[in-house]
Amino acid sequence: MLLRGLTWLVLFQLLGTAINHLFLSMLPGPIIGLVLLLAYLMLRGEVSAPLSEAASSLLRYLPLLLVPPAVGVMVYAADIAADFWAIVGSLVLSVLIALAFCGVLMQKMIARQARREEKP
Amino acid sequence: MSLDWHGALNAVIHHPLFGIGITLGAYQLVLAAYDKTRWIFLQPVLVSMLVVIGVLVTCGVSYAEYRKSTEIMNILLGPATVALAVPLYLNLRRIRQLLWPTLTTLVIGGLVATCACLLLGWWFGAEHMILMTMAPKSVTSPIAMLVAEQIGGVAALAAVFVLITGVIGAIFGPALLSACGVSSPEARGMALGISAHAVGTAVALEESEETGAFAALGMSLMGVVTAVFLPLAVSLVA
Repeated sequence: MLLRGLTWLVLFQLLGTAINHLFLSMLPGPIIGLVLLLAYLMLRGEVSAPLSEAASSLLRYLPLLLVPPAVGVMVYAADIAADFWAIVGSLVLSVLIALAFCGVLMQKMIARQARREEKP
Repeated sequence: MSLDWHGALNAVIHHPLFGIGITLGAYQLVLAAYDKTRWIFLQPVLVSMLVVIGVLVTCGVSYAEYRKSTEIMNILLGPATVALAVPLYLNLRRIRQLLWPTLTTLVIGGLVATCACLLLGWWFGAEHMILMTMAPKSVTSPIAMLVAEQIGGVAALAAVFVLITGVIGAIFGPALLSACGVSSPEARGMALGISAHAVGTAVALEESEETGAFAALGMSLMGVVTAVFLPLAVSLVA
């Protein structure tokens, strides 16, 4: 079951890689694969059991898979140290601004849409 | 009889499984500590990273060697990204109902995230190379690395900035959103996905399936939009 789902995921990513190579060099293969799988699911109208099992098992370990690329920080320690405060300051402030802004904006828009639907 | 302790230690440290071993060990250790204390600074990715770096430096293993031994995890990251289509699909009906709020937040929020970072970085006096590397920091690392390279930044450094952004967003995001009175799971998910990509999505998935779906949506849309428009915008400005 798990293996069959995993095979589908791999297949879609490989398809994405092929398309990335042929037409869309600015989008990475996995993202094209994501879009393709989404389109396939919309066409089929349901998620098969093997696919949903494989997807949920992989996604449960998503944070673990992000650890090795993160360890790459150690190679750039000197570059980061040189501009440390500028980098950390702008990254931290901008992500906090973006988070608060997006959250509040989205919530306002949802509330507005709900109100509009109430009085047609 | 004298045992060759030194040789044995070297064989263990330089075994291809050593990297995976310490990564798995550190991750589970941090996860267990987080479950016990619920302390938000114990962000699994961040603390595991610190533990792994500590072990590597102590043992004298280079990043290149570690990277090679954890290749399999990097390979799995691809199918895991593809797998995000499943929660996305399961919540498609809800997303369709909220099409306009979603798209508006994406465009305006994405602009705010990128411009705020560039303005702040410029104001704090970061170099041009660093600025161009920071610009795509809100998107998932494979896209960010490609985009950074296109606009004159450094790919590997972009991955690090992406990670810092994600971790900060994941640590402070949920509390900040609550403090701003953002309670709807859709809005929380979008905010986390747009500004803190995969790490934010991982946190959003912990909150609820719906939050996770919107985070995955925000992350993938933001990735596509950034990949297409950021190089274009930079070439127009420069």
